[in-house]
Amino acid sequence: MKDYRIVFEKTGRMIYISHLDLNRCMLRAVRRSGLPAWYTEGFHPHLYLMFPLALSLGTESVCEAMDIRLTEEMPEEEICMHLNAALPEGLHAHDVHTPQYMTKDIGSARYEVILQGEGLSEAWETFLAQEQIIAPKHTKKGMKDIDIRPMLTTEEMHTEGDKLILTLRLPAGNERNLNVGVVLSAFGKHADKPFLTKKVCRTKIFCINGEEFF
Amino acid sequence: MKKKLESFLLDVQKPSRYCGGEVGQIVKDKEKVDVRFAFCFPDIYDVGMSHLGMKILYSLINERENYWCERVFAPWQDMEEIMRREGIPLYALESLDPVKEFDFVGFTLQYEMSYTTILNMLDLAGIPIWQRERGENIAPMVVAGGPCCCNPEPLADFFDLFILGEGEEVNLELMDLYRDMRDRGASRSEFLRAAAQIEGIYVPSLYDVAYHADGTVKSVTPQGHAPAVVRKRVIVDFDKVYYPEQVVVPFIEIVHDRVSVEVLRGCIRGCRFCQAGFLYRPFREKSPETICAEGRALCEHSGYDELSLSSLSTSDHSRLEETLDEMLTYTAQRHINLSLPSLRVDNFSQSVLDKITAVRKSGLTFAPEAGTQRLRDVINKNVTEEELMRTCKIAFDGGYTQVKLYFMMGLPTETDDDIVGIADLAQKVVDLFYDMPDRAKGKLQVSISAATFVPKPFTPFEFEPQMEKEEILRRQEILRRAVKSKRVRVSMHVSDVSQIEAVLARGDRRLGRVLYEVWKNGGHLDSWEEYFDAGRWYAAFETCGLDPAFYANRRRDYEEVMPWDHIDYMVSKQFLIRENEKAHAGVITPTCREQCAGCGANSCLGRACF
Ligand code: SF4
Repeated sequence: MKDYRIVFEKTGRMIYISHLDLNRCMLRAVRRSGLPAWYTEGFHPHLYLMFPLALSLGTESVCEAMDIRLTEEMPEEEICMHLNAALPEGLHAHDVHTPQYMTKDIGSARYEVILQGEGLSEAWETFLAQEQIIAPKHTKKGMKDIDIRPMLTTEEMHTEGDKLILTLRLPAGNERNLNVGVVLSAFGKHADKPFLTKKVCRTKIFCINGEEFF
Repeated sequence: MKKKLESFLLDVQKPSRYCGGEVGQIVKDKEKVDVRFAFCFPDIYDVGMSHLGMKILYSLINERENYWCERVFAPWQDMEEIMRREGIPLYALESLDPVKEFDFVGFTLQYEMSYTTILNMLDLAGIPIWQRERGENIAPMVVAGGPCCCNPEPLADFFDLFILGEGEEVNLELMDLYRDMRDRGASRSEFLRAAAQIEGIYVPSLYDVAYHADGTVKSVTPQGHAPAVVRKRVIVDFDKVYYPEQVVVPFIEIVHDRVSVEVLRGCIRGCRFCQAGFLYRPFREKSPETICAEGRALCEHSGYDELSLSSLSTSDHSRLEETLDEMLTYTAQRHINLSLPSLRVDNFSQSVLDKITAVRKSGLTFAPEAGTQRLRDVINKNVTEEELMRTCKIAFDGGYTQVKLYFMMGLPTETDDDIVGIADLAQKVVDLFYDMPDRAKGKLQVSISAATFVPKPFTPFEFEPQMEKEEILRRQEILRRAVKSKRVRVSMHVSDVSQIEAVLARGDRRLGRVLYEVWKNGGHLDSWEEYFDAGRWYAAFETCGLDPAFYANRRRDYEEVMPWDHIDYMVSKQFLIRENEKAHAGVITPTCREQCAGCGANSCLGRACF
């Protein structure tokens, strides 16, 4: 028996698949792949799959993690190969590790965001210059207005023509979590001008200790 | 198109209903295919994707390298609003190409309440709704198949042609003819005249209908060489019939989220109310070897963990136990649930129950259909109270605590006693449970579902009036009052829907105007309670000067020309009349396996059915 952490991309049409649907899709893919997956014991055995960090609908990712337990050890490339043969277009496994960290260790995530429109970089500057950014956010107690400014870090920003290209770092994980969609709709309200969201992609997951999560 | 869609998909519920890309979908190069077929299901994705017939025909057509079949579903209201606002036409999920560009636009007619959705989908596609307005261009050819084609008359003015009976052979014959004629530059009407010569193809525009002064049909006259009677198609060697090895595996949860093998077609029972029991005759079954091979292939290719052995009555398979034994050896090892959705009360044995509970335990459903033995004899539902109790006992011994009982109300000859009988029967099930000393822990839940009876074509009850709404309401109240136990729950249908259903099921061509009127006034997705508006329907009847009671609540003579008399589903009218007379005399008819009742369906086999 051995645990593996599979790192995969979720792109293209797959961004419209919710987390719950992704779970079901992966279960079936593992079953199709012929990988020697481990099932839980008991009266209703089920295939063991775990996703350390959910991704919201509409967001792409190149760094999603999925944990699986196999009944025997297998070369990592082979696991990728079998799984990829069973995955739909837009889902693609590119790495397999032995898990080093646990879900509770996750602290933040990096996103690449591309917006298109006039005067967006000034708008972003003034957006960040605010002392507080109040936005509605899902919490365990329902929707609540909170200040997201302290959670928002712009690691990089540049423009290409009328495109604003941002690298954002947002808290992620069990303790504190900020959805990139919440940031973008708050920005939309602030900018008060039309723009297109060309790309929203999660590019890396980090641990609380600053190390990359894998 | 793709770009345009992408900017809206995040604004709708369950966007993956609208973007395709599932495992198992077939994508071809449109430059390299000869004929494109848009398979349209007139309901939303979640419902349509559960439909077995669509899965079969989708794969069957796509097996042919130069033909490409794609899927189309009705959008839910949120998506429709966006499509209309942004000018996005109805498109197919695989290519995202507009349906209007296809050669065939084929609808499946599964239930009458989907008819208005068909009109709405044609409109969303930008295809003229009335057949006569489509011009002489051969494409798109708007066609339909499925059980409601047994009386397609209310839809006659909207469709180019109907495909009667089983589609596995005739669909390809039709597409072959189309390809040849299109390449020779044929027009729509030339193609339709030629298609009418294929057995099983009904071209409604080639028939003239005349009416008597009282509104009944006087005659249906074919033009030119169109056949006077169009016969449905039947697959003779059912064990060898094409069956898909892979299906499209949806991302979202759908109504029946599993793979299924169709283990048999037809039914030996002859319940007199049941249209499917007559439409799909004769009875044919697959061998255990075929069933198991198909089941294994589907599980392996799809990754599903539930396999169902489906049919109208799976326990009538002559080699069911053997099939289950072999199938279970495979499924148990791979953690696959095996489900048998249509078990019958009378031949449901302990060993069959053991086999399915070995995998999963869920609620049990039984359909006694009527509350007393007298009425069950009338409808030829040959289930006795003892059989029901014996089966419930087996089920309770096996740990089941939920029982669903299905009944119908407003059956021919029904009296108040028969209604009270429904409550009595449920009470007996409750008593049985609580009299068992070693019953399972937990509370018993018996639910009664009582639907309003709808007389359908090609059944012995096609002559019967549907009970009037006021009388149904009175009887529903009797049932509600007759139920005493808190362990029994009753659910009943809205009777307006049943009346509309009854009108459409046995209606004639004049109803096309009613459908159009309802649709024009905003009616579609009428199979969804939240969208069905009885007022809209009754207003449309009024506008068109037609009386729904004429269609639904009138007794028809044996001599009356039915609107579908030029359609032949292989059960003869004489047989239906005989069965109707026996019903009124309370005489049962044995199953086909016991004794042939001479319905005529065996003529396609060229031998006796058994
Ligand atoms: S021909 Fe006889 S055995 Fe065959 S379906 Fe009809 S009644 Fe049944």
